[in-house]
Amino acid sequence: MAAASPHERMGSPRDAGGFFAWLMAPERRGPLLVAPAVIVLFVMNIFPLLWSFGLSFFNYRANRQDVPGFVGLRFYERVLNDPDVWDRFQTTAIIVGSSVILQLIVGFLLALMFAREFPLRRILLMLVLAPMMLSFVSVGVFFKLYYEPTFGLLSQFVSTFTGQPYVLLGTPMGAIMGIVVADAWMWSPFVMLLVLAGLVSVPKYLYEAAEIDRASWWRRFRTITFPYIKSLLLLAVLFRTIETFKLFDIVYIITEGGPGTATETIAVFTYRVAFQFFRTSQSSALAYIILFVVIVLTNLYLYAVKRREQEVA
Amino acid sequence: MTIALQKLTKRFGALTAVDAIDLEIGDGEVLCLLGPSGCGKTTTLRMIAGLEWATSGDVLLAGKRVNDLAPRDRNVAMSFQFYALYPSLTVAENLAYPLYGEGLGAAQIRTKVEQVARVLQLGPIMERKPGELAEGEKQRVAVGRSIIREPNCFLFDEPLSRLDVQLREEMRGEIKEVLQGLRRATVIVTHDQLEALTMADRIAVMRAGVIEQVATPHDIFQKPENLFVAGFIGTPAMNLIPAELTGFAADNVASFAVEGGQSLTIEVDPAVARLAPGAKVTLGVRPRNLEVVHEDVPDGLSSVIDMIEPMGAETLAHLNDGRHDIRVVTDWRTPLVERDQVHVRFLPGSVHVFDADEKVVRA
Amino acid sequence: MARPREIGKAGWGWTLFSGLVSLVYFFPVLWIVLTAFKTRTDALAVPAKFFFTPTLQNFINVFYRSSITAGASQATEFPLYFFNSIFVSGTSVALAIVLGTLAAYAFSRYPLRGNDTYLFIILTTRMMPPIVVIIPIFLMFRLTGLSGTYWGIILLYTAFNIPFSIWLVKSFFDELNPEIEDAARMDGANERRVFFGVCLPQVLAGLAATFVFGLILTWNEFLFALLLTGVETRTVPVAMARTMGGEVGVDYGLLAAIVTLFLVPIFIVTYLLQNQLLRGVTFGTVKK
Repeated sequence: MAAASPHERMGSPRDAGGFFAWLMAPERRGPLLVAPAVIVLFVMNIFPLLWSFGLSFFNYRANRQDVPGFVGLRFYERVLNDPDVWDRFQTTAIIVGSSVILQLIVGFLLALMFAREFPLRRILLMLVLAPMMLSFVSVGVFFKLYYEPTFGLLSQFVSTFTGQPYVLLGTPMGAIMGIVVADAWMWSPFVMLLVLAGLVSVPKYLYEAAEIDRASWWRRFRTITFPYIKSLLLLAVLFRTIETFKLFDIVYIITEGGPGTATETIAVFTYRVAFQFFRTSQSSALAYIILFVVIVLTNLYLYAVKRREQEVA
Repeated sequence: MTIALQKLTKRFGALTAVDAIDLEIGDGEVLCLLGPSGCGKTTTLRMIAGLEWATSGDVLLAGKRVNDLAPRDRNVAMSFQFYALYPSLTVAENLAYPLYGEGLGAAQIRTKVEQVARVLQLGPIMERKPGELAEGEKQRVAVGRSIIREPNCFLFDEPLSRLDVQLREEMRGEIKEVLQGLRRATVIVTHDQLEALTMADRIAVMRAGVIEQVATPHDIFQKPENLFVAGFIGTPAMNLIPAELTGFAADNVASFAVEGGQSLTIEVDPAVARLAPGAKVTLGVRPRNLEVVHEDVPDGLSSVIDMIEPMGAETLAHLNDGRHDIRVVTDWRTPLVERDQVHVRFLPGSVHVFDADEKVVRA
Repeated sequence: MARPREIGKAGWGWTLFSGLVSLVYFFPVLWIVLTAFKTRTDALAVPAKFFFTPTLQNFINVFYRSSITAGASQATEFPLYFFNSIFVSGTSVALAIVLGTLAAYAFSRYPLRGNDTYLFIILTTRMMPPIVVIIPIFLMFRLTGLSGTYWGIILLYTAFNIPFSIWLVKSFFDELNPEIEDAARMDGANERRVFFGVCLPQVLAGLAATFVFGLILTWNEFLFALLLTGVETRTVPVAMARTMGGEVGVDYGLLAAIVTLFLVPIFIVTYLLQNQLLRGVTFGTVKK
């Protein structure tokens, strides 16, 4: 034992009071606190993702026992060349687009309505916020009831004019509208909340100044109100696009993708491919394409969040 | 253009913010509403602008009752405490903002904006947004935006409160200069007496929704009407000493017994003769009208130097005899030692006598 | 002459207008509540009935089903499903908040290299459609036998709630004044005391809000529950969806009663957390 090894001189873990103390050292505090959450996330999210990433390169069906063979990018090729896939993407885009636009309009108008102080505001706000807190399943179940051709409220309402029962979900166009209305009804309050946050963040003295300066309604909106809500509107659009992109439950319950495949969103389609046709690998490849879209959108969203934070600061 | 307030009252629920005030501001006159926070001065200003609605009473602009007019129809210009610059617009666009309501052409607007920019030296910052401006520049833009039109009157809400001391001094002069050029009825709300004393033609001191006194800066300082104004105006604040009138040595020389057994014989306003001996009064004397002496004098009180605050050219001494705190401002060369037993002499003719109703006793 | 109002204020007229709009907007929910109190015939009556004799039968039916042949009633499975929903979401949200709070504190106070990247990845796992992970998770659960067990679904929901908890709780930590923590350190508090004694008490309200939002998100979840719960662990949304597929026609009164039962806590939450709602639904990315 001539001299302590360099390792020991640096202070081996045990010197400083044991492994626990080593673990609790200030520079490891961050990673240590993050670790439990990350482990759970890894096991339940990242690992399955990697697994399905692997699966997407093999020919695997969950309902068969045979050894899957390596097929490389064949499923990606197949998925990207599948007209069905593009058709479902198109359906999803139409539903997402119309629903988000509808949510923006309705949410915006509702926000304008609630931007003032008036008696009972809090109570009424609660009524409007309620749809957002319901489950997709309840919304789906009841909109299906409202759309029902014989005793559904919509049909009853329309038939007082036409005398005919109204089958909204019978046509592709009607079914899409039905889905869009249900989803937009549920989520317009979300847009309203964001816009409302922007509206109430406008300092009152700016409106007072504009009043003294005799600004017209439109000028006031354009130069004062809109700058305060535009970043929040962008956030609302991105957030709702990401969320609506996943639309599954409502479609699954109201139309089950029908009539035909008119309302089959990409999420419902993937579900079918995976759990009805058991084309596991193909659905994994499909899932990865969806994931890619969501990652891009999430990036955009966080970029918008950062920009707004700088604006507010 | 004149402003007149008649029995103007504003109540917020049970709170009376402004209590039946009467006030007239003449054409070209600059009036400062001065008072501690919460005294109703800003509410008064906002009622003139039309941003608050009078509970009762009238606002008259140029002799016309405007109670029921919206701010936009009153043709007033106002500069806000937080400047209220439109954050998404450049300085030039901010300046031009009030002109769009006038129906002017683009060329006229440009000329006016340039003119105001020249007066307030805004040239280099015309294309910046408010977020990129220093406080002083924001203040200039806010003033510029309020003077760009030709309104009935100008209203300023705490115009300098957000500036640092040096800038405040600079802007005070600048605003005064601009206002003199405008010759319009102007109301400035402030809690800073120096601001009021330097900028105003007349000052209205407010407390708890009531105007305590309206007078020129000089009179407000020299002839306070009541205890509140006396104590509020002047730094360091006026000494207010409770006393009892004991008798008269001559027509305008009265003797007082100060709490604690000391007596004092000083020259007072002839009107004090109205009071009967035994009357409870408050003696007011400004710290600069007191003199520290070392011998006992009839026109003074004895006390102990408690604390000494050097203020540069002058020294502020706090004296305390266990009952009264007396502030004295002396020349910095006056030798003072803490814990010393000294006497303070009241300079002749400097004492204000307030009666039991807190009103000044003056001819 | 009517006096113009102060800016940003409106009176009872506006209340009337907004009340009308709000009622129209709320109508679909209102109709559910009405349906819950209707008999089966009333629920499907044409023309729709706005006035009817209310009955509590649907609420009773949630818990007891009267058999058609005899008069005897028989307990339904719904109490079990309610228990499952509450137990599974409660446990998993609580777990997620404990883990999420630790991580959020680290992300807020001890930023790692690439902190933002980690946070981004974590948020992405929440943003990604469940359909992306459900396929491998389904396989994984089948292999490990977790399918249909409480453990499986609780673990999954915990993971599902962690990103949300991290982001939301971090937004609360970020708002604290670090000077208070420094003051505590100057007074000799160690890091554990700083966390438990200083930081945690200040975000308790935020944690409560996070818990409630997590709870709502979780008990409303459908797809995972559909694929990964069994007869014993089925949650309410799945049970409701299955009721839709009944042979005797859908018992809307029963479904309405279930939704109505869930409506009560939702209202309480929306009322109490109105100020935190925005932050809750955007995962803490938009504070105000």
